[in-house]
Amino acid sequence: MEYYKIKNIAGYLSKIFLSNPLTPILAIAILLLGFISLQTMPREEDPQIEVSGGAVMVALPGASPQEVLNVVVKPLERRIREIKGVEHVYGMAMNNVGMVNVQYFIGEDRESSNLKLYDKVMQNMDQLPKGTMPPLVKPFDIDIDIPILTAAFYNLPHTKPDIVKLYKIIRDLQQEINALDNVSKTTLKGVKRPQFNVLIDLHKLSAYHISLGQIAQAIKSISTNAPMIDTENNKGKLVVFGVENAIDTIDDLKELIIAQYMGSPIYLKNIATVAYNYDIQNYQDALISYQKGMDNEPEAIKYNMHRHKKGEAMKAEHAEKAEFRDMAGQITLTVSKLKGTNAVHIAQEAIKKIQETKKKLNNAGVGFIITRNYGERADEAVNELVHHLEITIFIIMLILIPFLGWRESMVVTVAVPMILAATLFIAQLTDQTINRITLFAFLLSLGLIVDDAIIVIENIHRRLHLDIDKKSVDEIIVQATDEIGPSTNIATIAIILTMVPMGFVGGMMGQFMKPIPLNVPVGLAVSLFVAYVFAPYLARKFINFKKIKADVLAHHEKCEKSHKESNEEKV
Amino acid sequence: MKFEKFLYSILESRRKKWIVIGLILLALMGSVMMIPTKLVLAKMLPGKSANTFSIYIDTATNASVKETKEVAQCIVHTLEKEQEVTDMEVFLGQGAPLDYAGLVKGSAFKRTQNQAEIVVNLTDKHHRDEPSFKMVHRIRPVIQKACGQIHASTSIRFIEMPSGPPTLATVVVELYSKNNKVLRDMAQRVSAILSHTEGLVDVDVMLDDIYPTYMLSPNKEKIIRSGLSVDQVNKIIYLAFKGMPIAVKNSKDQQDQIPIFLRLQEKFRVISGENMDALKKRLSSLKLMNRKGMMVPLIEILDIHKRDSSPSILRKDLKNMAVITAECDMVSQVYPLLDARDKMLEVLKNYYDVEKIPGITTYMFDLKAKDKLTGAEVLIRWDGEMKVSLDTFRDLGGAFIAALILMFLLMVVYYKSFALSGIVLAGSFLSIIGVIVGHWVTDKISLAFADINFFLTATSLIGFISLMGISARGSLLLIDFSKALMLEGMEKNRAIALSTATRAKPILMTAVAIILGSLLLSTDPIFGGLGIALIFGSIAATVVALFFIPVLMSNTKAMELHREKESECQDEEEIPGRLCVLTDNIKGILFPRKECSDDGNEPLRERDIFTKWRDRIRVFIEKIQKVFKK
Repeated sequence: MEYYKIKNIAGYLSKIFLSNPLTPILAIAILLLGFISLQTMPREEDPQIEVSGGAVMVALPGASPQEVLNVVVKPLERRIREIKGVEHVYGMAMNNVGMVNVQYFIGEDRESSNLKLYDKVMQNMDQLPKGTMPPLVKPFDIDIDIPILTAAFYNLPHTKPDIVKLYKIIRDLQQEINALDNVSKTTLKGVKRPQFNVLIDLHKLSAYHISLGQIAQAIKSISTNAPMIDTENNKGKLVVFGVENAIDTIDDLKELIIAQYMGSPIYLKNIATVAYNYDIQNYQDALISYQKGMDNEPEAIKYNMHRHKKGEAMKAEHAEKAEFRDMAGQITLTVSKLKGTNAVHIAQEAIKKIQETKKKLNNAGVGFIITRNYGERADEAVNELVHHLEITIFIIMLILIPFLGWRESMVVTVAVPMILAATLFIAQLTDQTINRITLFAFLLSLGLIVDDAIIVIENIHRRLHLDIDKKSVDEIIVQATDEIGPSTNIATIAIILTMVPMGFVGGMMGQFMKPIPLNVPVGLAVSLFVAYVFAPYLARKFINFKKIKADVLAHHEKCEKSHKESNEEKV
Repeated sequence: MKFEKFLYSILESRRKKWIVIGLILLALMGSVMMIPTKLVLAKMLPGKSANTFSIYIDTATNASVKETKEVAQCIVHTLEKEQEVTDMEVFLGQGAPLDYAGLVKGSAFKRTQNQAEIVVNLTDKHHRDEPSFKMVHRIRPVIQKACGQIHASTSIRFIEMPSGPPTLATVVVELYSKNNKVLRDMAQRVSAILSHTEGLVDVDVMLDDIYPTYMLSPNKEKIIRSGLSVDQVNKIIYLAFKGMPIAVKNSKDQQDQIPIFLRLQEKFRVISGENMDALKKRLSSLKLMNRKGMMVPLIEILDIHKRDSSPSILRKDLKNMAVITAECDMVSQVYPLLDARDKMLEVLKNYYDVEKIPGITTYMFDLKAKDKLTGAEVLIRWDGEMKVSLDTFRDLGGAFIAALILMFLLMVVYYKSFALSGIVLAGSFLSIIGVIVGHWVTDKISLAFADINFFLTATSLIGFISLMGISARGSLLLIDFSKALMLEGMEKNRAIALSTATRAKPILMTAVAIILGSLLLSTDPIFGGLGIALIFGSIAATVVALFFIPVLMSNTKAMELHREKESECQDEEEIPGRLCVLTDNIKGILFPRKECSDDGNEPLRERDIFTKWRDRIRVFIEKIQKVFKK
């Protein structure tokens, strides 16, 4: 029996691990790590795109657009142009206000970009024209500013709408949600803030001979807030006292004496309607219209439960129309997450919090609808793709059976999840998230990564049928793996090389696609390792050698027989 | 084996070999021609069905929130007829909670009365027959017709969730000029052209409307005589009509301060009518108190005259700019864009001298127009998704070429032959036939069943790039095996035929695995292109690998063995027929061995360099020591 001399790394690897007791433990460890990664990695629908930029707003009251352009926007634009890494500068000169939007090249580091912008504005504070208000620098941050969850709160149809009370309830809820882990920013949209409204009757004003300025002055002079004063008394103790804001309730305001007219005092209530309600000057508003039932059973409507059967649904659609509640006022609560945290968990936590208060809200006549849930969407997208991956692996296994036999195809089927698991684990180590594109990278690489395992198994299969009667099984497996080593190595390196340049694609698209050049080469490299280490091991465990040997021997006998026969015939 | 015999017969006949080459080249030409002839349509990213979409409303610049609300109400009422709509949120005078699309569309900066956004949530996409983009396509004309005309110059735009990175709009035309008036004129003309281009919808000019305003100019003499000041006048007018919080009160049971807000009552504030007289009447009842305690009617000290509003000025990269945006209605942006550009060249000819900007850049569709009368210049620049697409295709194309070069170099290192490396490359490049034809077939199927175009997208290109590696692997195995067989002493064509026949099984198996693996991928709206590219590309690659590559191999001299080179590693050739030459090549790369490198020259040279430097350093140290001793 000749001894096979190993020439390639493939052969060495397969030989080391072929009869090593640690091999199965390593395999299980890899699978476990992959599973843990799948469960714990932050999930998102779309990959994170590093978009840095911001806006600088400078108010110059009373200036026309042309003036704002010359005084504010143009100098500001020039200054911002000095910053390295700025792709576009958008200027906007409006009445009273100038705005400059800065857009950095995609992929520029966010924190330093924000800092650079802030720094540039602060450096030039002394050059600010007279009469401008301090500039406002607002960096925009895709991860922090895009809310993952929004919920609309509104007064239930049968209750009397009280927008101020609604605001108060939601404001408290906001505080609680903000206290949850990893929640970064919560905002309220469509709020009406409480306010004392003093609306002047012009006729009475002229009748009492009072000017508007007087009223403003009167209110201003009485409603000042001052800090407490502390002073020592004659015994050396501290005495603390303070001036109270004279306006405490709405009545205080009403009873405010504005002026004297013909000897009698004129109260504010005489010349104006004074009311405690919401900020009437705020035209920003939020409204909601929803299908009836959305507030109680949103799932039923979302998943079209009432239209189970498709055929009936088509007919019913014409007859039955969705009923909507008329537009009503609402307050939308938005919840954003911190960068790199799991959208799914945060959304779930926040919804749980809202659901907990549901009863309390309903008692107060408040209903709510979750109007956006990126956490759920991310989870759904990820689960769907994971499901796709499973189906695909199963299909590949099925298709390999006629080619290789079911035992051999089992080897490939076990190898694929191992490769994916290891790749996923590496992705987690390198701070990536699971998103659609990552999973697409996996789906795309699936066709590529099974290849190495297939080639190894196919060659083992071929070798076994050739040499099983001549050599030991272990030796055949090592030899078979070693044989195809060089070409498999070079081919895999070739594929890795084709994927690498994709990592240098710039712009939004490049950032969006980044998980592909990041993960596919890793997957391919891992697939080589798995094909050399685990495929031979698994082949040794799974393949029924006795049967093959018997087959081959039978085949030989048959051949010899036919050979003999043909020889005999010749004779 | 039958296949082996068939292949051998091809390889043995010169005529048949040329037929194979001819057929493949013909297929290549034909498929590549499908792109310029528009049989296969290109687009960056296709639409994706989502559970939500947004509607942006922009009424005239001087429209009130009430007018904007009317438009929003109309849209909501129209949408209420839709069964699949679950809820709608209207945000007046502000943007909706920020989303991916809103981020670049300036949603966060909306704060004027004429702006509104509506978020429309739909039933779950898996339980709905109609994809969201088709729904938008269907209701867009309905809503435009019903609600677009309520108030003048209302623009209603439908914003779908972008399937890839978001852009300002699908088609963005930027006009640059120093002269604002020229910009406005041009913007109107361009928007007219875009609105009449088939496939473009939601055309919007991002310019403020010009509307009448009234200027109150204080009469200096009268003001001084009546003992008032301009500042006082300003403040009072503002306080009366707009109102102002004049004081705040800290609250114990609220998270905010409570402002005290002062304004005129509604009946004294609201101006009845739109003309100057109405304004005069309103102002006449407002009086100011002077220092002497006398009431002075405001109208006495003010002159009113009408003036056009001054629109905001938009700038990009320090140049004045006007922007016209448009969306594509379920078609690729490439073709409407080219149509519109042709039309522009034709229409603008009458007023401007229009010239194309030469050179191939990602701004290659730009035009330069010079006014025939005034000589003012306008630059017409195409931005938006087109620019992003061109950038992406350029970068991906660059990536592709880089991949080709890298692969070629790797092959040259491996085979030490340009001809063989060329064969491998040719084989991997030819999968483009399958990619393009596949898109054409899928487009036809998709049109027949779902009435949706299937586009050649950026993801198709990614699929193509990754296919290159796969088909290279097929060719590689073929060449290696044939060479191995030839080493055993088999005749060239016979060896090629036999190795192709034996390798056919794993090649087919890989192809089948990829095809099945990509089946599910191809149903995805975004990565469908990738799936289709992989499926049809690997079919083409298999055909190429099984017929074209053998023919090329048989034609090239590089396949013939170089006996001299072989002798170098004869000591390794204990087992005949093993891939000795090849193994050593790769091993040379991975684990350089002295025995097999050319007479072990290189290690020696290395040692030389090492000793040389060591000597130099020693001399240097000695010199220093001498200096110190002195």
